[in-house]
Amino acid sequence: MMSYIHFPVIAMMTLFLGAFLTVVFGRKSQAVRVFLALLSSGIAFCLICALIKPVLIDGEVISYWMGNWSPVEGYAIGIGYEVDALGLFFALITVFTVLLSCVYSIRYMERDSSLDFYYVLFLMLSGSVLGLVLTGDVFNMFIMIEIMTFTSVGLAAFRNNRAGSVEAGFKYLVIGSLGSSMTLFGVAILYGNCHTLNMAQLSSILAGKLTPSTVMAFALMFTGLAVKSYIVPFHTPAADAYTTAPASISMVFSGMVNKAGVYGMIRLTYMIFRAMDKSSVQLLMVIFGVITMFVGVTMALAQHDFKRLLAFHSISQIGYVITAAGLGSALGLTAGLFHAMNHTLFKGLLFLCAGAVFYATGTTNLDRLGGLSKKMPKTTICFLIGAFSISGLPPFNGFASKWLVYQAVYEKAVTSGNIFYAFATVAAVVVSVMTLASFIKVTQAVFFGQLPAALEDTREVPALMRLPMWIMSCLCVLTGVFYDQVSKWLLMPAANATLNVSDYIDKMMGEGYAAGAGVVNIPAFAPRFSFWNPVLWLLLFVIVLAAFCLAIIGSKGDRAQISAAPEDAVDGKYATFFSGEKSLPSHVSGSDLFWGFKKNWKGYFKVMDDIHSGRVNDYALYVVAAAALVTVFMFGFVR
Amino acid sequence: MIIVNYIASVVLIALGFYVIVSKKHLIKIVIGMSIVDYGINLFIVSTGFNEGGTAPIYKMSEFFRGSYFVDPVPQALTLTSIVIGACVDAMALSLVIKLYKQYHTADSDEIRRLRG
Repeated sequence: MMSYIHFPVIAMMTLFLGAFLTVVFGRKSQAVRVFLALLSSGIAFCLICALIKPVLIDGEVISYWMGNWSPVEGYAIGIGYEVDALGLFFALITVFTVLLSCVYSIRYMERDSSLDFYYVLFLMLSGSVLGLVLTGDVFNMFIMIEIMTFTSVGLAAFRNNRAGSVEAGFKYLVIGSLGSSMTLFGVAILYGNCHTLNMAQLSSILAGKLTPSTVMAFALMFTGLAVKSYIVPFHTPAADAYTTAPASISMVFSGMVNKAGVYGMIRLTYMIFRAMDKSSVQLLMVIFGVITMFVGVTMALAQHDFKRLLAFHSISQIGYVITAAGLGSALGLTAGLFHAMNHTLFKGLLFLCAGAVFYATGTTNLDRLGGLSKKMPKTTICFLIGAFSISGLPPFNGFASKWLVYQAVYEKAVTSGNIFYAFATVAAVVVSVMTLASFIKVTQAVFFGQLPAALEDTREVPALMRLPMWIMSCLCVLTGVFYDQVSKWLLMPAANATLNVSDYIDKMMGEGYAAGAGVVNIPAFAPRFSFWNPVLWLLLFVIVLAAFCLAIIGSKGDRAQISAAPEDAVDGKYATFFSGEKSLPSHVSGSDLFWGFKKNWKGYFKVMDDIHSGRVNDYALYVVAAAALVTVFMFGFVR
Repeated sequence: MIIVNYIASVVLIALGFYVIVSKKHLIKIVIGMSIVDYGINLFIVSTGFNEGGTAPIYKMSEFFRGSYFVDPVPQALTLTSIVIGACVDAMALSLVIKLYKQYHTADSDEIRRLRG
């Protein structure tokens, strides 16, 4: 008896049950709440990990019909859950993030009130994301998206005594429900055309037959899921919500909630519509990806809040994932999945570090922080590992996946001969450089430089908060050094499952169904990993680090003491730009390291400032306008 | 005529989008969101309609290949979607109340502390 076919559903239900039990029993006692949350997320983690062997290693596809309503005469009636390697890949990311965030929350959230609601919302959010990545039914996917949006709003506005959190929640709700409305509209059109909601059956019906109404459905669902992955121009509420949510939740948002949107886009384009062999769809995804990368990173350079800066970096990194996944090639998909996984690791780590700084100092304003490396050395090391990873320095994981992205985009430029892809390759490299620049600024502003007098009695955060940070740091290094193992056991099965749709359809609808509907498989592939040797880079890195430490120890003491940035600077953006006045020795504070860049790009930043106006109407307008553009594009070019 | 339903639903959705994009009062934005929902609900329930079909209530013995009835699945979807829409409205309105208490206004031009 294959008992593991029940695991995906039990894992999802455990999280929802945990939320329910927390409402009933967790009112009074913190111990009960923590116990329930840890228990349910731990069980979900174990159950999903137990599926690694059958799904990722043996290449099986698990299908599960709710209430045993299996298909009748080739028509799916019930709600099906279907776990292939792609779904399991994202499910692993989800349960991992949930477990670590839960551990981190225990101490991080201890000073907040109404914690029973926090854990209820947290567990429901986890359950909905897990359901979303495991389901095989488009309407069920919509329901999970809605639960995800609600709970995200609740959690973004959770610290409603802090300025702006309710505002962020409201914006998130308006934009999020616009996105889910579009998804629902698309689902309804699909149902009207195909009379089924099952992804496998939809995929076999839609094979190569795009009528005007299914193109409309494609455009609407594409936009709806793009809103959920918060790519530009839908990113505005994400930046707000990541800033105001507690750090444990920011980590969950960027680690799995927007991965759920990315998963939805991959599932939609590669499997349901199987449109990724069309160059127009590839171009659309890559355009979105490149714009997202660039706008995200430039906005990050202008930020003065630690978490808001990380939020814009998170958006920028999702651009890499979309660009790579949008290439439609096996190498591109592998690169996209690898970067999605690495993004969860390093961005989660960075958000946890930001949370640790907030926990220790009570602020995330870059102008008020500084010199924390002396007070919080362990957090600093974790942060540096995360910063090196996101900037793509070898031998950390960000380098491996970014390198794959460059390789995939360049290959596309060569094979398709389209000049746009060559431009995209350059953009990807430039954005990576700007990411590094931005993290030099943060590192300088928060962990090095002058320690403000107000932060003299800062202490290192508790060990229970550092534990998830260390786990993520270790994984950042390990996945970078042993990239070939990661690729072999995780990425290759997921990419091959995405490209070979007929297994997915056959398992769900019965043997031979896909062949009957004329589904053709793309042959499995093996990527060429011969581009770098991480061990040499590791050695080089250690040597450089040692030299750097020696230099710092050597130069200690003779550095002139400089005063911190003026507290009363009204507009911090250009405040520290001084022209060459003769006698006054001026300096630039750590948080304004790139004032020259900002000055030269004044026009661009002015436009960006106007775009991120904070008005919810404007944000809704971007969503509607982008939806209209995508629809027009699809009608014009997708056939 | 069923075509009227489709036209009406698209008009409702477009109207809802217009309200969300152009109206500054937060309550009006919430109303716009619910108009979009109604439009979509009308659309879904119309996709399942069959002219002259009976109610989809059958015993297993009465059920045969030529049974002609209204598709029950969209009705179930619509019910679900109505419930979700009600939750969205309730949640959005409660956030508006909170916002009004904090900002002493419900104008979206004033509620923009998070920007840039």
